[in-house]
Amino acid sequence: MKKPWQAREFSTVVILVLEVLFFTWWLWPEAGRSHPFLNTDNGLLILKYSAIYGIAAVGAAIVIISGGIDLAPGAVMALAGVVGAHLFVVENWGLGPAMVMGVLVGLGSGLLTAVLVVIVKLPPFIASLGVMGITRGIAFIITEGQYFDVSSRLLGGWRPLGLPADWVAPIIMIVLALIFQVFMTTFQWGRAVFSVGGNETAALFSGIAVGRIKTSVYVISGVLAAVSGVVLVLVQGQGKADLATGYELDIIASSVVGGASLAGGRGSVIGAVLGTLIFGVLRNALPQIPGATFYDRLIVGLVVIVIVVVDQLLLKKRT
Amino acid sequence: MSESSTGLQFTDVRKSFGAVAALRGVTFSVREGETHGLIGENGAGKSTLLKILAGIVQPDAGEIHWRGSRLHVRSPREALERGIGMVYQEMLCFENLTVAGNIFAGRELTRGGRLLHQAMRERTQALLDELHLPISPDAEAASLSAAYRQLLQVARALAFECQILVLDEPTTALTDAETDHLFAVLERLKARGTTMLYVSHRLPEIFRLCDRITVLRDGGFVETSERRAVTPQHIVRAMVGRDLPPRATFEPSARAESAAALAVDGLGRRPCFRNISLKVNAGEIVGLFGLVGSGRSELLETIFGLYPREAGTIRVFGESVDTSSPRAAARAGIALVPEERQRQGLFFNFDVRNNLVIPDRTIKGDLLVRASRERREAQELVNTWRIKTPGVEAPPDALSGGNQQKIVVAKWLATAPKVVLLDEPTKGVDVGAKFEIHEIVRREAARGAGCLVASSDLPEVLALCDRIIVMREGQIQGQVAGAEATEESVMYLATHEGAA
Repeated sequence: MKKPWQAREFSTVVILVLEVLFFTWWLWPEAGRSHPFLNTDNGLLILKYSAIYGIAAVGAAIVIISGGIDLAPGAVMALAGVVGAHLFVVENWGLGPAMVMGVLVGLGSGLLTAVLVVIVKLPPFIASLGVMGITRGIAFIITEGQYFDVSSRLLGGWRPLGLPADWVAPIIMIVLALIFQVFMTTFQWGRAVFSVGGNETAALFSGIAVGRIKTSVYVISGVLAAVSGVVLVLVQGQGKADLATGYELDIIASSVVGGASLAGGRGSVIGAVLGTLIFGVLRNALPQIPGATFYDRLIVGLVVIVIVVVDQLLLKKRT
Repeated sequence: MSESSTGLQFTDVRKSFGAVAALRGVTFSVREGETHGLIGENGAGKSTLLKILAGIVQPDAGEIHWRGSRLHVRSPREALERGIGMVYQEMLCFENLTVAGNIFAGRELTRGGRLLHQAMRERTQALLDELHLPISPDAEAASLSAAYRQLLQVARALAFECQILVLDEPTTALTDAETDHLFAVLERLKARGTTMLYVSHRLPEIFRLCDRITVLRDGGFVETSERRAVTPQHIVRAMVGRDLPPRATFEPSARAESAAALAVDGLGRRPCFRNISLKVNAGEIVGLFGLVGSGRSELLETIFGLYPREAGTIRVFGESVDTSSPRAAARAGIALVPEERQRQGLFFNFDVRNNLVIPDRTIKGDLLVRASRERREAQELVNTWRIKTPGVEAPPDALSGGNQQKIVVAKWLATAPKVVLLDEPTKGVDVGAKFEIHEIVRREAARGAGCLVASSDLPEVLALCDRIIVMREGQIQGQVAGAEATEESVMYLATHEGAA
């Protein structure tokens, strides 16, 4: 049996802890002032915004493990958010039904990607690139360049189940991450996803319903992206078509930093979520460093490369 | 020792991968200009030795000398520069390039960064003429037959002042006629004085081609002998370190009466095969012999549901079964041990346990993965089929080719199939593993399964099968009872039109 510290997720946790320690030290305030990084409010802020990425990263990681790739999450987030906001603000739907419709958008776009990959047999990169354009395009058509002001209709703020709104996104992320971690590691379905990613031909020859497995991963990715899009609209208070632009690449990078192999067959859901936290901390802390404003994208890029290279070196050493 | 100062000398070469010692100090020499056979079971260390020579892996200890000077090869490119040409088992061929493009791939002739197409074409033509290969330098590699692709590799190795030509199982994918062509080329190279190291499982080839034979076993050197001074039996003993038990004899008459485990009627899928009708009785081992391109792999894959059938019915113990997908076929009790174990049979991102239990768990439609129960089941399979592995948690690439093949066989037999289809079940495995796989097939037949074995290895078909069905160009040419079959009678059916 593997020891806990031999799991790939362990090294991601170590990186996250080191990162937090580093910024705690770097941003240590002068005596008498409060710490700008290490405080509860900031922690919650990091969690809240990381969760937007994290929810979608759960689905993206599963797609990557299956040997595919999904470029659509950012656009699906926007379309789901826009549809939900439109129904809520313009059509005067209740909040619940509007948001459920938003999530169903993700189901539809996931199914579309799945059809293109499984039946039309397009490479996942191309299929999801097309779906990304379609979903983002529909979002622009619906909004006609406007935005839907959700926050003004949410009188008295949004307190689902009596919880503070800021907690909702992290809670959804953690619950989904745990559920899908269990699905991926202890269910036959999860093992089939790993099989298809590891060797699709052998999976087919082993009696695995490869088409069904692939369909399921793209649908899950679409639905989870839509969930995070809906949550993003609720967190930001407005639905607009350029929401979450470019998020798909950060989400893919998070999955890879969390141990997923773009070649398929390796990775974990928890790792991907931890990956989004690593980026969340970076995005939060870098702007607080005086003079680092223009460097944050550069540093994020370097961090991806360094983490993945170190991981590969460690992997080589272990085997 | 004049030998060591002129030839290729391996001195105490050692290499370990983790805890597994692949080479435990191998010392032997190849004389300059001779053709030297290197033989051993899978896991004997042949591949590792070749990889060291080719610069793909570095030895932990030991030295290699060529003509008295130290040969330290750090990369495949350096190997080429030092005059070592490699011809691999899997054909490394750029299908999108022309013949000339393949020969010069990675080492294109250029002037100022521009490709010298004409010069490369001319040199390729000269090379092809020298090897008596009737192909054009401008032909697309994708259009060449398996044999010509293999010969293209030989040409590629020779294009650059090759002094030592290393051939690793070059005939695995070739038919007999194609093998003859390759050998004719190798004979000419031999006459020219090229030193060759020839690795093969096939004893007849080794005996046909080589001057001397070195046997490796379990990473160690066993012996080097003059071909003229030894018998194949002696070499087999040296390889496996024991005498193989005599082959089991079977009683075909007792089985012929039993019910048909598999009945295929009028099966067709153009352009691969048409109107195929055959029966495999319970407890019977039927051979499906045919040359490459006869449609036998396609037939098995269609029965297993990998391709839709255009016409015909498939029955298992009298019941018409759904074979719309491998999943459906497997649920109907049909199992296929595929031809290419690495590509079609194994998951290298999983350990041995997962590899062994996935088909059984999948067709049973379980919801959960029960790791401890699976480990127990996997351990039982490992014990039953004598799979040599460091443990059920080991990755399959830690195993030798023969043991990997046993995993691919065992993972299907774990499903207790009613019909076992095997496509080249002993391709590229050594004599010992081959024998064990044959035993496994016999045990399955004794259990009552119908076994259909497609093979282009004629001695294998003759030794294993109760009955041999011969295919040619997508049709059944006839069948021969195992007891009456000879190499000649089967080969005659396989190669002659209307022989049935």
